[in-house]
Amino acid sequence: MKKTYLYWLLLPGLLFLAVFMIIPIVLTIGSTLFKEGSFTFAGYLQFFKDPYFLKILLTTLEVSVASTLLSVLLGFPVAYYISQKAPRRKGVLLALAIFPLLTSPVVRSFSWMVILGRKGLINNALIWLGIVDKPLEILYTPVAMMIGMLHLFLPMMIISLVGVLENIDSDLITAAQSLGASRVKAFRKVVFPLAMPGLIIGGILVFVGSLTAYTTPALLGGKQRVISTFLYQNAMTLNDWFSASVIATIMIAITFVVVGLMNKLSNKLNPKG
Amino acid sequence: MKKLMSGLLSMTLASVLLAGCGGGKADNGASPSASASDSNAKGEPTKLVISTWGFSEDFFKKEVYEPFEKAHNVKIVTEIGNNAERLNKIRQGSSDVDIMYLSDYYAQQAIDEGLFETIDRSKISNLDNIYDIAKAPLGEQYGPAYTIGRLGIAYNSDMVKQDVTSWSDLWSPEFKNNVTMPNITTTSGPMIIDIASKVAGQQTLNEDAAFAKLKELNPSVVKYYGKTSEFVNMFSQQEIAGGPIMEMYFKDLKAAVPGAKFVAPKEGAYAVMNTVNIVKGSKNKELAEEFINWHLSKEVQEKSAKAKVDSPVNTQVQLAGDETEGVTYGADVINKLVKLDMKYVNENIKNWTDRWNRELAQ
Repeated sequence: MKKTYLYWLLLPGLLFLAVFMIIPIVLTIGSTLFKEGSFTFAGYLQFFKDPYFLKILLTTLEVSVASTLLSVLLGFPVAYYISQKAPRRKGVLLALAIFPLLTSPVVRSFSWMVILGRKGLINNALIWLGIVDKPLEILYTPVAMMIGMLHLFLPMMIISLVGVLENIDSDLITAAQSLGASRVKAFRKVVFPLAMPGLIIGGILVFVGSLTAYTTPALLGGKQRVISTFLYQNAMTLNDWFSASVIATIMIAITFVVVGLMNKLSNKLNPKG
Repeated sequence: MKKLMSGLLSMTLASVLLAGCGGGKADNGASPSASASDSNAKGEPTKLVISTWGFSEDFFKKEVYEPFEKAHNVKIVTEIGNNAERLNKIRQGSSDVDIMYLSDYYAQQAIDEGLFETIDRSKISNLDNIYDIAKAPLGEQYGPAYTIGRLGIAYNSDMVKQDVTSWSDLWSPEFKNNVTMPNITTTSGPMIIDIASKVAGQQTLNEDAAFAKLKELNPSVVKYYGKTSEFVNMFSQQEIAGGPIMEMYFKDLKAAVPGAKFVAPKEGAYAVMNTVNIVKGSKNKELAEEFINWHLSKEVQEKSAKAKVDSPVNTQVQLAGDETEGVTYGADVINKLVKLDMKYVNENIKNWTDRWNRELAQ
């Protein structure tokens, strides 16, 4: 390697990451393993033995997984549609798709309250149509949380999918069909596997985003907590930084596990991709 | 970001207003008089850092900070955030705050951890003019309450037909699936434990009876609110028919729902005291005491009451008619308030929060 000086170009970025990301994370994780001066997993054992914490964890995972799956279901057709358009239309459509990201989560959540509430748009319409005679409880439930998350993170899914879908050569589909594949089969055997990298990136973004979101569950969720609001309570109102660090470390671990699983899944579905 | 923007906005607004009415502030000794402590009247202004909530910032800037800055050659800098956030900053030791506004519940925590400076009562002459309950809510060594609010019940009279007179009415069928309660981690959270214990028929606070009673109410609770704005929002959307709330926010409810009513239940409304203290290590202790004195003065107290920013503790303040709406005012009202022992609350709060999480918040 003659061009060793090229490595120096990495230095500013690495230094920044080390100081502002790696060191804080190491300190956070490290602090959870020592209590009263000795090395221990007690903090974690205490959490995983606690049915209350497990329930919070489960609710959080449920909402995150559901948001991710729904964002795939809703995002894929939209992304496919956008990717087939001429470049100029594509730009406009993409801008529209990412529009939800431009408003603050607080404003977004408040609009959902107006729509989902007991006297909200949806319930009023359902009652007027005679479909229900008593307003449905949507607001302040995990369903409301999920709707909020989906609204927030769907654009991420669409952007990542458009990126890969527009690079799929349309000749490949033509070729598949000329060799006797039906439209569905061509999609399943050609388009879907090639879209895998986009799905994985989009899936990770949506999942991690939903897992760590704070404002949306705090405003739209009801009595039950999710892991991020629980972390906030421990750190800010109970001043219990040990528990808060344990929760943060658990969240980091979940993120890594999920990213690993998704990569495995993608290898299985698209071995050469 | 929002806070920063509104902060900037109110600052520009205040400066425009002040430029318009430059220096007509002379008053009969009630205005912040120049004292011996600021001999450097013409030199570089002293920096005084105040840690506060950030509501009605434009009012405080114009009516409280600016006159004090002029009289004492001081530059006031504010640090904004909720009780818990600001207390945590002081705990980490990474701040140069001189004066700190906190609700009594959080102020007690700061005192227990040795974060506050003791005050010299002889330097704060206006202490003689405030209600006894406000003089030393956390002990003689520490700062006074500059405002007393009360926690009562606000409800929508279009949705609740019977008159609400008691805390136990929250358990009545009128509030079925219609009620909100403050979360345990808010300032009024611990009061809810006391209320539930009383409704359960206990003379002194009985934790188990209180939680049993709260569990009974739990299915009716739409949401435990963490911020007053959530209450106001749920109330105006008619998600709730009512719940316990501080009187100071009633004007917002009334603006959204004309049929809104506020009552002090017959067992007593609860005193919510906001205190002002000097942070340990402050280099401007005398100036800070002077500022606390200024905030307790009749002039500031009357202005903040009339602007409906804070209820007054100064007994010389006179209010009449509409001026009293949404303001906790008058000796007879103040004397009837129930006050929690904050030391007791702080000893138990961790346990209560844990029980609350496990037994109610699911």
